[in-house]
Amino acid sequence: MRAVLRYLRRNPSLALGLALLMAITLFVVVGSLVVDPEDARPLSAPTLQPPSQDYPFGTDRQGRDLLAVMVVGTPLTLRIGFIAGLIGVGLGAVLAFVAAYYRGIADTVIRGIADIGLTVPGLLVLILIAVSIKGTLTVNQMAIVVASLAWLYPTRTIRAQVLSLRERGFVEMARLSGMSGPSIIFVELMPNLLPYLGATLVNAVSAAILASIGLEVLGLGPIDTPTLGMTLYWVNFNAAMINGWWWWWLAPTVIILTVFLGLFFLTVGLDEIANPRLRRSA
Amino acid sequence: MSAAPILQIDGMCVAFDHPRGRIRAVDDISLSLLPGERLGLAGESGSGKSTLALSILLMIKPPGHMEAGVVRFLGSSVGDLNKEGIRELRLAGIALVPQGSMNSLNPVARISRQIADAFVDHGLRLADDERERRIADLLAQVGLPANVARMYPHELSGGMKQRACIAIAICLRPKVIIADEPTSALDVVVQRQVMATLARVQRELGAAVILIGHDMGLMAQFVDRLAIMYAGRLVEVAPIAEIISRPRHPYTRALIAALPSLHQRGALSGIPGLAPSLHDLPSGCAFHPRCSLAVQRCRGERPALREADGATVACHLA
Amino acid sequence: MPPLIDAVNVSKRFAGRLGREGTLALAGLSLTIDVDAPRVIAVVGESGSGKTTLARLLLGLTDPSGGEVRYCGTDLRRLGGAERLQFRRDVQAVFQDPYGVYNPFYRVDHVLRTPIRRFRLARTKAAGRDLVDGALHAVGLRPEEILGRFPHQLSGGQRQRVMVARALLLRPKLIVADEPVSMVDASLRATILSYLRRLADEHGISVLYITHDLATAYQVSDAIVVLYRAHVVEAGSVEPIVTAPQHPYTRLLISSIPRAEVTRDWLTTDDTNPRVSNAAGVTGCCFADRCPEVEAACLASLPEFRHTEARRAVACVQHRRHAVLPEGALDKVLL
Repeated sequence: MRAVLRYLRRNPSLALGLALLMAITLFVVVGSLVVDPEDARPLSAPTLQPPSQDYPFGTDRQGRDLLAVMVVGTPLTLRIGFIAGLIGVGLGAVLAFVAAYYRGIADTVIRGIADIGLTVPGLLVLILIAVSIKGTLTVNQMAIVVASLAWLYPTRTIRAQVLSLRERGFVEMARLSGMSGPSIIFVELMPNLLPYLGATLVNAVSAAILASIGLEVLGLGPIDTPTLGMTLYWVNFNAAMINGWWWWWLAPTVIILTVFLGLFFLTVGLDEIANPRLRRSA
Repeated sequence: MSAAPILQIDGMCVAFDHPRGRIRAVDDISLSLLPGERLGLAGESGSGKSTLALSILLMIKPPGHMEAGVVRFLGSSVGDLNKEGIRELRLAGIALVPQGSMNSLNPVARISRQIADAFVDHGLRLADDERERRIADLLAQVGLPANVARMYPHELSGGMKQRACIAIAICLRPKVIIADEPTSALDVVVQRQVMATLARVQRELGAAVILIGHDMGLMAQFVDRLAIMYAGRLVEVAPIAEIISRPRHPYTRALIAALPSLHQRGALSGIPGLAPSLHDLPSGCAFHPRCSLAVQRCRGERPALREADGATVACHLA
Repeated sequence: MPPLIDAVNVSKRFAGRLGREGTLALAGLSLTIDVDAPRVIAVVGESGSGKTTLARLLLGLTDPSGGEVRYCGTDLRRLGGAERLQFRRDVQAVFQDPYGVYNPFYRVDHVLRTPIRRFRLARTKAAGRDLVDGALHAVGLRPEEILGRFPHQLSGGQRQRVMVARALLLRPKLIVADEPVSMVDASLRATILSYLRRLADEHGISVLYITHDLATAYQVSDAIVVLYRAHVVEAGSVEPIVTAPQHPYTRLLISSIPRAEVTRDWLTTDDTNPRVSNAAGVTGCCFADRCPEVEAACLASLPEFRHTEARRAVACVQHRRHAVLPEGALDKVLL
């Protein structure tokens, strides 16, 4: 434990990132004990109340208690991000290892698809997919939609890492020891890439959250769930800024900002672990 | 010819702070270098020879630091110099060709630019044609054809790259050239060419050379005097002919014996045991666990460097 | 019984860029390693001579451009699963870099346990441990000092010895050692090389010792093959080749070695025409542009491999009065 704290002192980015994310988690956990999730539904409170003792975050035009909305909506948004990020990096890693280790046709095909996919504007594709799904979206469906594109970038970057790793002497040694391709990938290559995969995962989660919020703000998200993005959609829809209902857009904005800053600093911190050359001297 | 040394090192101690404790990479080394002399510094990995070279030019970076020692160049102490003075000293007074330098050439700069950079760094402003002429002269001095100036490092062979590094090192006509393992990555034939180049360049400049390495055969054929280091300490210093014909320290003897012979088969011998970890040096003489002649005194008392008819040795039995 | 490893006129040419002809890494070479006669054969050459390419071809890490490498009669490229595993068991390697061959994620035990597991060398965990201990003892290491450590915690010499121990574990029939001691301290070289020698003498394992150091090759091997720019220039029994070399390149190699002697003539004698650039596509003898004894015939065509003595063959026009060594008969002189 002491070693962990000592390391955190040397890696302030990691410490800050973890602190911010911990703050959000604390907010959600404590909030869920204090708040009734039903209050996040419309018509549970008087409309357009500025922050007061009864309603610390105020209420919106449909009568939702905004504190409840934040407490319920934040984990929903984060869940979309995590599921999409996990699928994206998981799929991306498998494709990357196969492409980089076996080279040849597999590499050409995988790399080709990823390259073409990366040139197409992602948000556009997501909009098209979201629009073509009949009926309203659930949170999990949202995650799948975002995941469909989330694997493209990880595939490319992880592939580059594996390409350089496979030339190392210990991979040849493994071949001489009679190990098969899949076992070399799992036993020899993967463990060396865990820090890099971790950093990529955090990146992917960040990007997925942003993409989902983007879709939601455009009204293409799960309309009847109080996610952060949907709250912003209603803010827009009701011209809350022009009307001076500042408490409505302030809460989600601050939370989104905190989440992104936390993920950003976490990425920078993990980058230092993954890339020893960035490490400050002891 | 004056016998005043051009470079004098007294009591150099360099320590490194490591989480496991402080280690002495260089432990009380004193050496002198006469003008035009070729001094060899031999030792195996971990002996501290590269660290010593860096310390001469005040290039030790944290977590290492110079604990003690005075380096005198042309009589005046290097430690007294200010920042400007030190920068001037490096390359123009004492030039270092570091280990692996041929792989540290800037891959995206032509050779002429890399030499020109040295001029610029030392505030030497030259007209274009003067600079071109000087670069061409330098390349000729190291035996490289003039068209090498326009080439990139990857277009040159290993030997040519190393000679380019020597050209950079001598471009400001230094009085001392320190070459750290200049030929370790080169083949035997190319090694001879590079060493011949170094010898010629040294003669033309009237400079002194410190050759750092571990190949006793190379030392025997190139240097005038040889200093042997072990675990950061000096164990023997003597004229090369003396060391080859009558090595006095058991480690020196073992090093020479470890050279595979080309006359007699089946005579491969090594030194048993392992080089000591600097964290955990043996008591007394650092070499005693591996020495076939060790006695009780060697375990308890660290031998001092003494003169012993023609050589300087740190051994109780010399 | 087909020989263990049979390289039949193998050559390797690396792909050229955009229409240019690629570099020839190894010209047609035929070499046979037989199980009945375990020997240490040295392959000596400078960098670019093709010695590492030869090692990789024999280990099946790369495919030849021409000719084939056969294991017990079958082309390496056509080996089935079980045969391939047996090939890996019979032919092992020790490489030059004692650090890169270790996976930094695992302790050094990993590199010893993996082949035991893969080749099922031990039935129980205890038997496996005994095997590892025995192999480490055989190279003069103490298991308690080595096992459980990470690669960066051991010295270069220790790491290289663990690699030799690993090769020993498998009781292979052939060990290809590519510059096994060039990154190791001089005092330790003799120790490691003596273990390799003992592998041939006491355990009947053949060793292909690839190096640029002619002196250690002389000490440790029975036969020697001298490579220069992808061609074999001289081959045969090690004693006559080193004491009385017949090819100008071999003579140059030997005279270029600095000796620890009091007489100093090494720097002053310069018997080379230094090559200024790497000229590709040279017709005739590969050494012609540097040879101090070059004649017109050298530039016309590649000199044939002449059988000058019972145990020696040289590719040089100076020996044109001797019979040509037939193709694929290189191992006759290496006996």
